[in-house]
Amino acid sequence: MSFLENYAFYIGAFGLILIGLYVILVKHNLIKVIIGLAVLDTGVNLFLISVGYITEGTAPIFSGSETDGQQMVDPVPQALVLTAIVIGVAVLALALSLAIRLYHHYGTLNLREIREQKW
Amino acid sequence: MVDPVLLIAVPLALAFAIPALSLFSKRAAKFVPPIALSFNLVLSLLLLPRVLESPVIVSIGGWQPPFCINLVVGPVGILFSVIIAFVGLLVSIYAVDYIKERATEKYHTLYLLLLTGATGVVLTGDIFNLFVFFEILCISSYALVAYTGEKAGIESAVKYLIQGAVGSSLLLIGIGLLYGLFGTLNMADIAQQIESVSPISVFVPMVLIITGLGVEAAIFPLNAWLPDAHSSAPSSISAILSGIAIEVGLYAVVRVLFTIFGASSILLFLAFLGILTLLIGEMCAFSQNNIKRMLAYSSIGQIGLIVFALAMATSYAVTGGLFQLVSHTLSKALLFLAVGYMIYRTGSLDISALEGIGKTMPLTSLGFAIGAFSLVGLPPFTGFPSKFLIVRAALATKESLFIVLIGLALLGTVIEGAYFFRVVQVLYFKAGKNNPERKEAPVAALIPIVVFMILIIAIGMYPKLITGVLNSAASELLNRMDYIKSVLG
Amino acid sequence: MRKTISIILLSIVAVGMSLSLAKVPFGQPKTKVGQRYIDKGVEETGAVNIVTSVVVSYRGFDTLGEVTVLFIAATGLGAVLKIGKREAAAIEPASFVLRTGCRVLFPLILVFGSYIFIHGHLTPGGGFQGGAIVASAFVLIYLGCRERRISETASTTLESLGGLVFVVAGLIGLAVGGYFLLNFVPKGQPYSLLSAGIIPVIYIAIGFKVGSELAGIIDNLIEEST
Repeated sequence: MSFLENYAFYIGAFGLILIGLYVILVKHNLIKVIIGLAVLDTGVNLFLISVGYITEGTAPIFSGSETDGQQMVDPVPQALVLTAIVIGVAVLALALSLAIRLYHHYGTLNLREIREQKW
Repeated sequence: MVDPVLLIAVPLALAFAIPALSLFSKRAAKFVPPIALSFNLVLSLLLLPRVLESPVIVSIGGWQPPFCINLVVGPVGILFSVIIAFVGLLVSIYAVDYIKERATEKYHTLYLLLLTGATGVVLTGDIFNLFVFFEILCISSYALVAYTGEKAGIESAVKYLIQGAVGSSLLLIGIGLLYGLFGTLNMADIAQQIESVSPISVFVPMVLIITGLGVEAAIFPLNAWLPDAHSSAPSSISAILSGIAIEVGLYAVVRVLFTIFGASSILLFLAFLGILTLLIGEMCAFSQNNIKRMLAYSSIGQIGLIVFALAMATSYAVTGGLFQLVSHTLSKALLFLAVGYMIYRTGSLDISALEGIGKTMPLTSLGFAIGAFSLVGLPPFTGFPSKFLIVRAALATKESLFIVLIGLALLGTVIEGAYFFRVVQVLYFKAGKNNPERKEAPVAALIPIVVFMILIIAIGMYPKLITGVLNSAASELLNRMDYIKSVLG
Repeated sequence: MRKTISIILLSIVAVGMSLSLAKVPFGQPKTKVGQRYIDKGVEETGAVNIVTSVVVSYRGFDTLGEVTVLFIAATGLGAVLKIGKREAAAIEPASFVLRTGCRVLFPLILVFGSYIFIHGHLTPGGGFQGGAIVASAFVLIYLGCRERRISETASTTLESLGGLVFVVAGLIGLAVGGYFLLNFVPKGQPYSLLSAGIIPVIYIAIGFKVGSELAGIIDNLIEEST
């Protein structure tokens, strides 16, 4: 039980990553693949933040009160995740715009039927 | 004393200014990339003598490493920076006339940012910073592949994007695992501490990071996106993608592998993968009828050869690999630029449509022929000394495995010769339309083609022009202790 | 067939990752870099929000790259989607409650977003968070008053200006102190609004840039679908 509560965040993050990868590999509809990409990004960000957690730590913001002396969590993964979230949003926005144009050209979003490029 | 940060900061500032500039004048946008890239080229050449003596370490923000991000400008970095600036400058001159329709200022913004991202990847010394600049490179290339808005371009861009985004997520997981294990993001610091943990625990981050970077570096089996993307992009972008983007991806793989992990166990596997990539690329190129797709598969083959050379990890082999990288960049860019206007004039991508172009566009066809011969490895061109160096390095290791592999590589070269000679034959020896009038490509396109031709012949005849830099670059890659000492003191 | 291969592949990945994770214990302090940022952050940068000082000052170069990535996405999206003009279709107006509610909420959300990016160095939040809130105010306007659009010149100018302020601040730091992105403005008293040197200026520029960029992205997507 203590193993589970210690590693719950890691298990959750990796669960999301594996679900995202499964959706990208298996599904045919382009919108579902993009949603899988979003789930994958979320899982990776959750994993990065949980690497920085310190037990019984508080947010790394000084507030001039008496709580300032205690242990604070690591601020570096939070900065990394800030960057990673923005990069993920940028990729998703571009992917959605490409999906719109693809639908305009082919009339379908099924990746099995969009195979104009031959070998 | 000039600061290498300007190599990244000035093009970035100019790229941010392009949208505001284009509100005033629509035509001004196409002159900004040449200005920015000539600045980069001059600055890199000025830094070259100093860097060859000892690497320049620049800390950003005024803090000391490892508590800050630092740039490590060594011989490898400055070599790549000069190549990126030079090839980028020539292709941007080509694009002044080639890109005419749609919102051209967006093309030039994305183009400049792609090259800035590439320069950032080669100069940085911090692994998360590598990820950020790598993303700049990749996302600009996704948008530029889709630039023409046609069916083929959008489909290739979607497939490229999905594969690239999965690769980037794997890279990020690897970086997170490295941070959890070592507590720092500085490459030299990680390299210093890598011995203190067991090899098993760094194996998984290493595989994840190399897979993530390998998608962009086009190593088999991660290169399914390449033929589609390089053949449906506009030709100037194909030149940049084949000539710069995959090479910079390969640099990132090599930097992580040699400097951070210092791994020798995975190098044999990489050598196999390299030869496999080479053979598959050349064999697929042989069966193509679409000329840009043929050139894209040829890029895959060449990258396989470079990976094999770098994976042998002796000083001769790494020098040969870097030399092959330089000659591939120059030759492939020349090929794509020449093909761009040929396709524009004939309106078709088939090889058979290029019959007789040797008479109507003589200078352009000469450029194509020189690029093709250089890639195959014929004597007065730059491909010959580079391939010769790789073969000599493989024979010098005296291991029968590498000798077998280099034999397969030479087989690949024969196949390469076959399909390139077929195209040259179609260009020159098949009769085209009945009334050939000489209608050459415009001047803005001929300048880069001629400059590339001259440079290929010059380096081919006097390889000593660049072997000095290449030797220092090879020794920087192979000596991780010197790298760590120069950053951390 | 494809499903079985992917399940096998993913189980290999899962086993590999869990093996490696066993070496990264959860909840243990593991870094000297992070500890130093907490110990010396306030006196070295003047910002009491340590995450802000890491994002803008210690690792400011990454933030510059991130701003660039968002810029690339907005530009690429505009290049892919703008395939010429189409005639404006008849737009059905929203209901009365939605229209009035949006008009009332719009300035409030703008003020809240601006508060977040101006106080980035004192409270949780910062340029990106505040910019996203400001963009959501514009999305609300698109839902409620459907015929309004952002002026394109204003959004392009704000975007360019935001990015340029960031890079120019870094270059001035280079000229003054010899390091790019050096914090050259005097740091002031911690806990007050005018502290932390160049950090609030950069975050305000980022807030404007991100807000106008995300609103521009939504604008392009809505134009495409009507």
